[in-house]
Amino acid sequence: MRNIRRPIRFRTKDNMANRGTAQRPNGQTQGKICQFKLVLLGESAVGKSSLVLRFVKGQFHEYQESTIGAAFLTQTVCLDDTTVKFEIWDTAGQERYHSLAPMYYRGAQAAIVVYDITNQDTFVRATTWVKELQRQASPNIVIALAGNKADLANKRVVECDEAQAYADENGLLFMETSAKTAMNVNDIFLAIAKKLPKNEQAGNGGSSGQGRRLAEAEGQKATAGNCCK
Amino acid sequence: MSSPEQLAIIQSKFTAGETVVIAIEASLMQGCMRAARLLALVNKGSTHALVILLTSRTPPQVFSDLTIERVLPIDHDFKCDLDTDGKQQDSLDVYLNVSSRKLRLVFEMRPGVTTSSLVSEIFRAIEVFQKNNSPPTEYLWIQKLTGSTRNLDSATDDIQDVADPLVELESPDLVVPRRNIATGKTPVAARESVVRYQMACKEEDYTYTEVFRMFIGTWNVNGQPPNGITLEQWLSSDQIPPDLYAIGFQELDLSKEAFLFNDTLREEEWRQVVTKFLHPKGTYYQVAIVRLVGMMLIIFAQEVHKPFIKAVSVHTVGTGIMGKMGNKGGVAVSCTIHNTSVCFVNAHLAAHCEEYERRNQDYADICARLSFSSYVPPKGFKDHDQIYWLGDLNYRITEMESSVAKHHITNGNYGPVIALDQLVQQRRLGKVFQGFQEAEINFKPTYKYDPGTDNWDSSEKGRAPAWCDRVLWKGEAILPIDYRSHPELKISDHKPVSAIFDSQIRVIDITKYRKIHEEVMKKLDKLENEFLPQVMVDTTEVIFDTIHFMEPSTKELIIANTGQVPVQFEFIKKLDDTSYCKEWLHIEPYMGFIKPGEKCDIQLEIFVDKKSACKQNSGEDKLYDILVLHLEGGKDIFITVLASAYERSCFGSSMEALVHIRVPIREIPAGRIMELENNKNPTQEPYPVPKEVWQLVDRLYRHGIKTAGLFQTPGLHSEIIAIRDWLDIGSQDAMPGGVHSVAEALLLLLESTAEPLVPYNLHNVCLSAATNYLQCKQIVMQLPEIRRTVFLYICSFLQELLNHTEENGLDAKTLATLFGSIFLRDPPRSRDDRQYRSRSIQATFDRKKAAFVYHFLVNDQSDFILGR
Repeated sequence: MRNIRRPIRFRTKDNMANRGTAQRPNGQTQGKICQFKLVLLGESAVGKSSLVLRFVKGQFHEYQESTIGAAFLTQTVCLDDTTVKFEIWDTAGQERYHSLAPMYYRGAQAAIVVYDITNQDTFVRATTWVKELQRQASPNIVIALAGNKADLANKRVVECDEAQAYADENGLLFMETSAKTAMNVNDIFLAIAKKLPKNEQAGNGGSSGQGRRLAEAEGQKATAGNCCK
Repeated sequence: MSSPEQLAIIQSKFTAGETVVIAIEASLMQGCMRAARLLALVNKGSTHALVILLTSRTPPQVFSDLTIERVLPIDHDFKCDLDTDGKQQDSLDVYLNVSSRKLRLVFEMRPGVTTSSLVSEIFRAIEVFQKNNSPPTEYLWIQKLTGSTRNLDSATDDIQDVADPLVELESPDLVVPRRNIATGKTPVAARESVVRYQMACKEEDYTYTEVFRMFIGTWNVNGQPPNGITLEQWLSSDQIPPDLYAIGFQELDLSKEAFLFNDTLREEEWRQVVTKFLHPKGTYYQVAIVRLVGMMLIIFAQEVHKPFIKAVSVHTVGTGIMGKMGNKGGVAVSCTIHNTSVCFVNAHLAAHCEEYERRNQDYADICARLSFSSYVPPKGFKDHDQIYWLGDLNYRITEMESSVAKHHITNGNYGPVIALDQLVQQRRLGKVFQGFQEAEINFKPTYKYDPGTDNWDSSEKGRAPAWCDRVLWKGEAILPIDYRSHPELKISDHKPVSAIFDSQIRVIDITKYRKIHEEVMKKLDKLENEFLPQVMVDTTEVIFDTIHFMEPSTKELIIANTGQVPVQFEFIKKLDDTSYCKEWLHIEPYMGFIKPGEKCDIQLEIFVDKKSACKQNSGEDKLYDILVLHLEGGKDIFITVLASAYERSCFGSSMEALVHIRVPIREIPAGRIMELENNKNPTQEPYPVPKEVWQLVDRLYRHGIKTAGLFQTPGLHSEIIAIRDWLDIGSQDAMPGGVHSVAEALLLLLESTAEPLVPYNLHNVCLSAATNYLQCKQIVMQLPEIRRTVFLYICSFLQELLNHTEENGLDAKTLATLFGSIFLRDPPRSRDDRQYRSRSIQATFDRKKAAFVYHFLVNDQSDFILGR
């Protein structure tokens, strides 16, 4: 039978497929993954879920359902030297859920505050979100401001310059985006990925994975021993 | 594992004729997760099968601890091989790759005798199959085994693990544990190693080769210093500057100091000379230097390669005296050039003509002991793509007369002499340097000369010439260009040797690499997102009708698992909250597990009782809550629970508010009640006691004073509700309900206030004064007027009851205990406090409360009531 190989197989020439699987302490082939918790905030119907859907799945739904809760998805962005894995929490925009937002931005390393360029109120609301983040979120959170629905330029009420000036004053990343046309969607996530500090700690799954286990992070219970330990 | 008892337990899972040959514990690798399994090789007739078992206990105690998960027949579709290089960086374990038809599994096992035995048994079984080529019909017994597995599945409830198959996707190697992904248990580190493995499998797709010119040189300098020496002839005689130099010396220093303390000035002297004579057309940097006594190895590379030469690590192995000392042995450098791992070994093997076996042994020792610890786990000598071995290997020519050999050599007729070279002989016999190659020797033996000359050794010993100094290599894509000695360098009794190679180094095409890397990541993302837990709820707003005091109301919420993975759901606490829902709400179940395609009904019950009513009346709380339904490892859903209204009631109202309400409470607006609860705009003439208290007491006074078991027999819930409505709405009719219900309503009214009649701030004072009537009396005097009046009013009524003990059978102690607990209700405590307060301490407190009230039941209070 041809297919049966010798019982013990070392890394030699007949084993090219496994090359590199062994120890690689360093080098660009080393896929260092940094994991970050990212939260989307903003008035309802500004397009938070649509931005995420465009970014993660490359899709757009004209009638996106209203998010009641906090949707969760992951997406990886490859940079030159590192790979950034985002754990994205897309929060409910309705005002009545406002008090629950800290559950999601607490411990987040990045936030995208979204407004709708055709609606001045949403921009005002975005600025209050920024203030809240600056006050309550972790001090080195990377905040990006996204002026969404840029495809509706003829209905524009929030000027790009105005938003840019506000972003500059507050040290925010800023882009006008369109989940519909995909304009700047990947770019804004990429810009955040580039700005995030990629130290050891950030890459440590133990510290950043907490976002997914909110209940446990609150000290309610410890994960029972499992095989991943 | 394979102790006879345990083997017997496993054997008991099988029927007669099916023999468990060997069994072992192993970890099934699901992506990067390990799951405990037992592997058993089972034999029946001429056929074998590898059986994978789950065990609920490790080690299993009885046969029912074991469940057969899979049975893989060892037939033409079965493949198995062993991998000792860890995919997992953190383990030294052995990996057994098993595949059968479309399934491919990887097991991690501890290295050891049992593991080896299992593997050899499996291979033996494969050989047996190859020999017999058993037809499929002989494997029918396996179907029975798997059949019984299925029965087991449906018989047991907890089949989660069994029913959790590995994901068999289009790429069979991408085995990802979806349940673990779903529950967020796959740590980043694990993902990194999955990615690394995936990338390694695709290496061909994103690398190309680039030729590196390698210069490998070796020289036994016989302890001579490099004073004024030039090395051009050796190191830079070629046209093309090498990309990389590996230069080895032996007998760098023969002094005792060097031997004993491994310390010599020669290292630096020779290093400088070598550096000086590297090829002038190249710019070099020193990659590494390593020395053990007289053996030194220096690696130089052209500056342009610097960014791509990584993971440089050195190691030395002494095989000299005692098998340890560094007079003989090897020094080595390991590094990674682009994506190719390379190892250079400079060895000085045992001397003396007849000692070739000793030299073979030194070689084997160096191979076995070399290990580069900068890697985790340490990287061995064999784990390199290319190995260059140089040095004074000391193999001689003993089967030819020295004079004959010299004659051949002088005539340039090396062939007959080389054929008798010990190294050539030993390699041909497979005793040493297995897998290595050597270029054709076209130069004179490099040993032994009279120093300073090209003359053969003229000393007494008159040693025969030998090619002691050699260069060998192992690995793919290494092309030998030149192999020569350099007789111009005469200071030693050896001549230096050099070999030139054109070696293909795997270089990463960064564009292709990124593209493939991104594809791998995208694939993982897609998987992760697809296997996130997904549910649908039938509504995110649960709206109740008007809620009444003490009347529970229930609604249902349906959670349906619409995703591909089992869902663990839980209503979780919001930040800073102590519970996942408000006190008037009850969720059943508040956590649970739903299989894909199934659903779970959640009962939501609103019940405003004596504890929560006061906050509704005062407006401090509303029947409105947002629940956070969390899916483990996934999203959260917000469920809003609200009631259209809470019907105001005298229950839950404070005495202070009630005395200002002259009409039934429903006749005044809710806002007014909130005002009164918050001491705003009181009326000018409040009642001395709330009319509701008076109405209840009066009813008892008129109809229940002689009723046996009053305050001891429970009332009827429906009657209490009727009494509640009678009080709240007002009626011309007589108060409904029996006296026991009236009595309970009175207690409920007193219990559902925000604060007990004796305010919390006096609670401890009362308990400590409980034995002293005068002090108790003073405390009552200090009570706010309304509270004091209600207190004394009720005490007077109780005294009246005690005047009729013969009929109602009551006694002062019983009443004091009951009303003590109501008048002196315990302040709210944290759950922890309550746990710490032992039962006996609580009993002491209860006795004190009773003692406090007792005074006012047995002493005449008329002067007190008259306000003296």
